[in-house]
Amino acid sequence: MASLEMLPVVSGTKDGRFAKALIYVGSGILIVAALAAIFAPLLSSWGPKEIDPSGTLAAPGGEHLLGSDGNGMDVWSRVLHAARIDLGIAVLAVALAVVVGTLLGLLAGYLGGWVDDVLMRIVDIFQAFPTFILALAVSALLGGGFFNLVITIAAVNAPAYARLVRAEVRTLREMQYIEAAKTSGASTLGIMWRHLLPNSLTPVRVIAPLNCGWAMLTLAGLSFLGLGVTVPTAEWGSMISLGTSDVVAGRWWTSVPPGLALLVCVLGFSLLGEGLQERADAKSRR
Amino acid sequence: MRILRFVGRRLLQLIPVLLGVVVLTFLLVRVLPGDPIRSILGPNATEADADAARARFGLDQPIWKQFLDYLGGLVTGDFGTSIQSGASVTGEMALRLGPTLELVFIAVSIAIVLAIWLGIWSARRADTVGDHSVRIFALFGNSIPEFWLGLVLILVGYAALGWFPAPSGRVDPDTNLTPLTGADLIDALITGNGPAISSSAAHLVLPVLTLVIGVLAPLLRSVRASALEVLRSEAYAAAAAHGLPERTLLRGYLRRATLVRLPSLAALVFGTALGSTVLVEYVYSWQGFGQWALRGLLYRDYPVVQASVLIIAFAYVLVFLIADVVHAWLDPRVKI
Repeated sequence: MASLEMLPVVSGTKDGRFAKALIYVGSGILIVAALAAIFAPLLSSWGPKEIDPSGTLAAPGGEHLLGSDGNGMDVWSRVLHAARIDLGIAVLAVALAVVVGTLLGLLAGYLGGWVDDVLMRIVDIFQAFPTFILALAVSALLGGGFFNLVITIAAVNAPAYARLVRAEVRTLREMQYIEAAKTSGASTLGIMWRHLLPNSLTPVRVIAPLNCGWAMLTLAGLSFLGLGVTVPTAEWGSMISLGTSDVVAGRWWTSVPPGLALLVCVLGFSLLGEGLQERADAKSRR
Repeated sequence: MRILRFVGRRLLQLIPVLLGVVVLTFLLVRVLPGDPIRSILGPNATEADADAARARFGLDQPIWKQFLDYLGGLVTGDFGTSIQSGASVTGEMALRLGPTLELVFIAVSIAIVLAIWLGIWSARRADTVGDHSVRIFALFGNSIPEFWLGLVLILVGYAALGWFPAPSGRVDPDTNLTPLTGADLIDALITGNGPAISSSAAHLVLPVLTLVIGVLAPLLRSVRASALEVLRSEAYAAAAAHGLPERTLLRGYLRRATLVRLPSLAALVFGTALGSTVLVEYVYSWQGFGQWALRGLLYRDYPVVQASVLIIAFAYVLVFLIADVVHAWLDPRVKI
C-alpha cells in the first residue's frame, strides 16, 4: 500500500510553495530581460546595426563576444537590442488584445441579443483557424513593421479574450449584486464598468502572461519566415533565420544565441502564468 | 441515430462559418495591397502585358462575377488555376497534402502516447520531485520556438554527428521513388522500394522529433490536469478505499477516465501542429502544404490563398466535430 501514500492529497502549503517559486523565478527572468533591453547599449561595445567589414562570421571570443553574423554584425549586441522589439511588440499586442477583447466580450455578454449574435459569429470565423496560421495569413496580407505586427498579433488573440469575458459576464450578470445594482438605479454602462468589468477580469489575469509568451513565439516565427521584422533591425526570429545556412555548415553562434534568449523570455512568461494558474486553482479548491 | 442528427446539426452550423471564411478570404486577399500579376511578369512588362495576363486569369471581371465563378468552381471541387504556376490548384494541393499529413500524423500520434503515459505518471506523483520535473519539462516544451529547436537538432544531428541527412527534402532523389500519395514513407512501403524506405525514414526523424516536442507540452499539461481531476474525484477515492488492486485502479479507473478527454485534446493539438508544421517544413525544406500555402500568400496567388485557407479552416473545424463525436461515443455521460 505504499503507493497509496503517493496519491495526491490536496496539500495546500506544498502546492503553494511550488506556485510561489514559479512566480518568483518567472518574474525574475522577465525583470532581467527588461533590464537587458533597457540597458542594451551600455552592455555591448558594438551597435545593433553596426557592420564590422573585416569580421564577417567571426567566431565567438576576441572582438565579438558571441561572434558576428554573415553581415559582420555583432551577435551579442543584436541579441540584447532585439529584446526591445520582441518584448515591446508582444506586450503591446497582448495589452491591445485584452482591451479590445474584453470590451467586445463585455458588450456581447451583457447586452446579449443581436449584438451577441453578430460578435460571436465573427469570433467563430476567427477561431476556425489555428492561431499561428491566422497570424501568418493576416501578417502576409497586412505587411510587416512594428505597428502592423502589434495589430496582427492583437487581432489574432482578441477573439479568445472576447469569448472568455463573455462567458464570465453571462454567469456574473445573474448574480444578486447585479440585480441589486439595477434596482438601485445604476445605469447599464455603470454596471458594466463598475461591477462586471473588474470581476470578469479574473481569468484574463492568468491567461495574459501565458499569452505574452505565445505572442513572442508568434512574432519570432513570423520574422523567421520573413513576414515580420526584417534585417537589419535586431529581432530574434529574423536573426535565427539569417543563421539558417550557418547551422547547416556547423556554425552555431549566429542562430543559437537569439533562440536561447527567446526561449528564456518565453519561459519567464510561462513560469509566471503557470504559477498564477496554480494559485488560482488552489484558491478555487479551498 | 442521435449521433447522426448531432453530426447533421453541427455540419449545418459549419456552413455559415465556412461561408464567412470563403467571403472574407476572397475579399481580403483582393482589397489588401499586393498584385499577383506583377509578381509573375517581371520588371520589364508593359501595362498591356499585365492587362492580358489579368484577362487570362479572369481578374479583369467585376468582383462579384469573379466571386460567383469561384463559388461555382468550389461546388464542383475546382479551386481554380494557380497564377504562379499556371497549374490546377486542386492538383497541386493533392501533391502537397500527403507530405504534411505524414509529418503531422506521425508526430501527433507519438505525442499522444507519450503524453498519456507521462501525464498519468506525473499526476499520480503530484507535488513530488518527479511531478515537478515533468511540469518544468512541459513548460520548456511550451516555451521553445520550434523552428529554432529544428535548427538545433540539425546542428547536432547533421552538422556535428552526421547521423541524419541534410535538411534539404524528404527523400534521397537517387532512390527513384514513384510518388503516389506524396507521403514518401508510405509510397516507399507500397512500391517496396528498400533504399527509399530507409532514406525517407531517416529524413523523417528530425522534423518529427521537432514537432513532437512542440506538440507534447500542451498535451502533457492537459492529460496531467484531467488525471488529477480523476484522482481527486469521489468515485476514485471510493474505489481506492475499497482496496482495489493497484492495477485495476490504474487501468480501469484512472486511465480510462483520463482517456475520455483525449479526443478534444487531440483536436486542439492538431491545430497547434498545423501551425508549427509551416515553420518545421520551412526549416527542413519539406515542400509540403505549409510551404505551398506560404508561397501563395507571399505572392498573392489568389486561388492558392483561397484554397489553402479554406482547407485549413475546414480541416480544423472538422477535426473538432470528429472529436466531439468520439467523445460522446466514449463517454456515456455526454448527451448530444
